Amino acid sequence: MFLTVTLTLLEGFLQTIKLFVLTLLFSLPLGLIISFGSMSKVQAIKVPVRFVIWVIRGTPLMLQLLVIYYGPGIIFNANVWGSGDGGRFVAALVAFVINYSCYFSEIYRGGIQSIPVGQYEAGQVLGMTKHQIFFKVVLLQVIKRIVPPISNEIITLVKDTSLARVIAVYEIIWEGQSFIKSAGIIWPLFYTGVFYLLFSGLLTLLFGRIERKLSYFR
Amino acid sequence: MAILEVRNLKKSFEDTEVIHDISFTMDEGETVTIIGSSGSGKTTLLRCLNFLETPDSGVIKVKDDILFDSDVPESMSEEAIRRKRLHFGLVFQSFNLFPQYTALENITLAPSLLAKEDTSIDASSIEENAKELLEKMGLSDRMGNYPHELSGGQQQRVAIARALALHPDILCFDEPTSALDPELTGEVLRVIKELAKQHTTMIIVTHEMSFAHDVSDKIIFMDKGVIAEEGTPEEVIDNPGNERTIQFLANYKNGK
Ligand SMILES: Nc1ncnc2c1ncn2[C@@H]1O[C@H](COP(=O)(O)OP(=O)(O)O)[C@@H](O)[C@H]1O
Ligand SMILES: [Mg+2]
Repeated sequence: MFLTVTLTLLEGFLQTIKLFVLTLLFSLPLGLIISFGSMSKVQAIKVPVRFVIWVIRGTPLMLQLLVIYYGPGIIFNANVWGSGDGGRFVAALVAFVINYSCYFSEIYRGGIQSIPVGQYEAGQVLGMTKHQIFFKVVLLQVIKRIVPPISNEIITLVKDTSLARVIAVYEIIWEGQSFIKSAGIIWPLFYTGVFYLLFSGLLTLLFGRIERKLSYFR
Repeated sequence: MAILEVRNLKKSFEDTEVIHDISFTMDEGETVTIIGSSGSGKTTLLRCLNFLETPDSGVIKVKDDILFDSDVPESMSEEAIRRKRLHFGLVFQSFNLFPQYTALENITLAPSLLAKEDTSIDASSIEENAKELLEKMGLSDRMGNYPHELSGGQQQRVAIARALALHPDILCFDEPTSALDPELTGEVLRVIKELAKQHTTMIIVTHEMSFAHDVSDKIIFMDKGVIAEEGTPEEVIDNPGNERTIQFLANYKNGK
């Protein structure tokens, strides 16, 4: 029984990890683009971008999942997400990417804006181009500052993936819960916690290493 | 022949004119010191020379190149400005070293980047040159240290070496010792004096009057965005003729 449960949960956890990895893959770069938008000098870009960030950060991810999955069907009267499991997974992924890129963008913005203007000016008087100043001077300092908040956000994402079950994405909690109905046992549901713990423990170790790698300067 | 000529320079921020109408010249190898109370526009003047601010009007001429002339609206593109900046160096009050690079790397970074676009620069000599500069600054043993491992005085000396590495025509200092603990100002003033002895062309904004007296060929006293008085240290500091200079120096002595 233990083996069957473990294998089934692993299958669910594979979905969890797939959602996790794909969300990061898209939202980390997208967040950077959004952060440039939110810092734009052009009001017509900055204002709408900040508005969207405010909406996304101000409402529950659970609600965003539901709106993104059911919304298009209600508005266009058509299923834009494709049918079955695959469609629901894509909808969940889109919701997660939108949500997390907004959070990441705010972390990027904080990181970029925390770099003293003297760093840019020192680069300028040394004849560096804007491009060189960003990549050779500013970027690593930004990365150093954003690693701790980004790690927090990423570890939150591990756990947030469980919200995808509201639109029936068969992630690990869903699989754990299914044993209540099928076998009348609840321990597989609790057992899922072990998977989360191991995975977030692994990530914590990884981020700790990155932070230590960057600790050679201040 | 004057290496730098500034004519009728003006600069406002919003409604307030910070630089009213400044004209002066300096010769190659001279050290010119700018004194004046806080808010008189000294920093803004240096920032205009280094194109961190764009003057509203006036002329800036280095050697025979007109770098800025508000009457001749030539190309002031990003790229053109970047090239013009190379005529000047600027040492900041707060050093502004790059924290992720060692002392040596702070100095070699900009020259290496320039060597990539300008093949006439000998890339192989950049590191050698940087090491020599650090030695001149008395920091040979600090080459591999990161800025946070250095004292303020050491950081400022690295910053001076970093500026010198690009061989600017004119090196500007904006209160280079104001951010330092009193016991660390000496080491920085010493290297600047040494540079003056070797006839490095420099414009120095400072509140260190006895240093200014020793090091300067010419002193400019700025007040409310204009040059109120200029002359040799003997003229301006020992025998000031202008009422405002007298008052500034009196306040300065009382403050000590
Ligand atoms: N970027 C700016 N925007 C608005 N006002 C400024 C700016 N920079 C300087 N000023 C003003 O210009 C005046 C001169 O400043 P500054 O050149 O820094 O003087 P100093 O270096 O002699 O103390 C001050 O009143 C200051 O508030
Ligand atoms: Mg100043």
